Amino acid sequence: MAATRILLAALALPGLVQAENAPDKSTLSVKYLDYQDSQPNLDRIHVRSPAIDIAVPVAGVWLLRASVVSDLISGASPRYHTAVSGASRFEETRKGVDAAVTRYFPRASVTLAAGRSGEHDYVSRFVSAQASFASDDNNTTWLVGAGVANDRINPVNDAVENEHKRVVDLMAGVTRVLTPADIVQALLTHVRGEGYYSNPYKYIDQRPRHQRQHSLMLRWNHHFGGSGATSRSSYRYYTDSNGVDSHTLLGEYVRPFADGWTVTPSLRLYSQSAARFYFDPVYDTRFGPPFPPGYSFTDGRDRSADQRLSAYGAATVGLKVEKEIGADTTVDVKLEQYKQRGEWRAFGSGSKGLQAFSARSIQVGITTRW
Amino acid sequence: MIRALIIGVAMVALAGCAMQPVQPWEKGMLAKKAMSFETDKLEAKFAEHTYSSKEGASGGAGVGGGGCGCN
Repeated sequence: MAATRILLAALALPGLVQAENAPDKSTLSVKYLDYQDSQPNLDRIHVRSPAIDIAVPVAGVWLLRASVVSDLISGASPRYHTAVSGASRFEETRKGVDAAVTRYFPRASVTLAAGRSGEHDYVSRFVSAQASFASDDNNTTWLVGAGVANDRINPVNDAVENEHKRVVDLMAGVTRVLTPADIVQALLTHVRGEGYYSNPYKYIDQRPRHQRQHSLMLRWNHHFGGSGATSRSSYRYYTDSNGVDSHTLLGEYVRPFADGWTVTPSLRLYSQSAARFYFDPVYDTRFGPPFPPGYSFTDGRDRSADQRLSAYGAATVGLKVEKEIGADTTVDVKLEQYKQRGEWRAFGSGSKGLQAFSARSIQVGITTRW
Repeated sequence: MIRALIIGVAMVALAGCAMQPVQPWEKGMLAKKAMSFETDKLEAKFAEHTYSSKEGASGGAGVGGGGCGCN
């Protein structure tokens, strides 16, 4: 019966199974994230994030979507590298809201979206537009998109005042049905930003005021007819004008069981090179930490001691468990553990002298349709 | 430039894969929720936000979304 329902749903979709029709039911999702990252002898950032997402189809050709998230952030962040004594403690709240409207056509869809994210020292606003076009046989869908974000930065330490950043991103891609059990996607994105990229709360952090980012995302989903399981694989290549090149591999195995249970183990592997202006934790013999060897107060060179710009590798293992309650409600729990190490970098040597970095997160959620 | 060309050729090749076209009545498995590239919007947002706050790379799966302090 369930198989018949799925087949009928597929036949009813004139477009690529995933794209050109509004869903026939409204969806409400509520999720709560608890996130903690740490290094030896220092619990760093703790985030608690309740979030809501609602999507409502209208007249069969429109979809209205809105989401709200609130991040309650507390903890400590090192002012340079992983120095515990230099960590600054803080507590703040970020509130994000965004909304989107999608119009569906027989072989196309257009989505317009806008949003705002606000912290006491950082406000970001964005608008974006995306469109998809399906081929006559509905096995290929072309995707294009563009977005603009304007950020306003006013740090509490008055390092800068009323700084700004403007980011434009462009995307093009294609989704292709390869076989009755295989679908693939390639997305190319280009991001161009101008403005304040430095971190006002870190010592010796000056970054270029312009940045270019390019990424290629390849995704492949495969369904196993015998077990009913699905493997979901992706690879992202990323490069930017700061000199950071990265590779990200993600694999998920979605395995349904009887009585509405689904278990999804996942593994994510990540590796990046260092930004060209990142310096290792080796300090000037005259000035000491955090000043790099040969530091000059007047040369105006770009420099950063931010661990995120170092060369390293990282791995995340995750497990998600979902349970259907009735026909239209699902509850889920997801656990993830993340570790980052300099020596785990692939395709080169990692940065030395940094403390190991770890994070763990727990998500619980409920989704209902009507 | 060469890199962009290679990527462009790869995307065109992907779109034109010379495989037997899948017929509408063969798409039952493709219609399953797990086969979608966007299964859980909030989970995807959490992932993008937490990874972009601790790694040098970000994005790649779409446009829009804005920035954050994430210091």
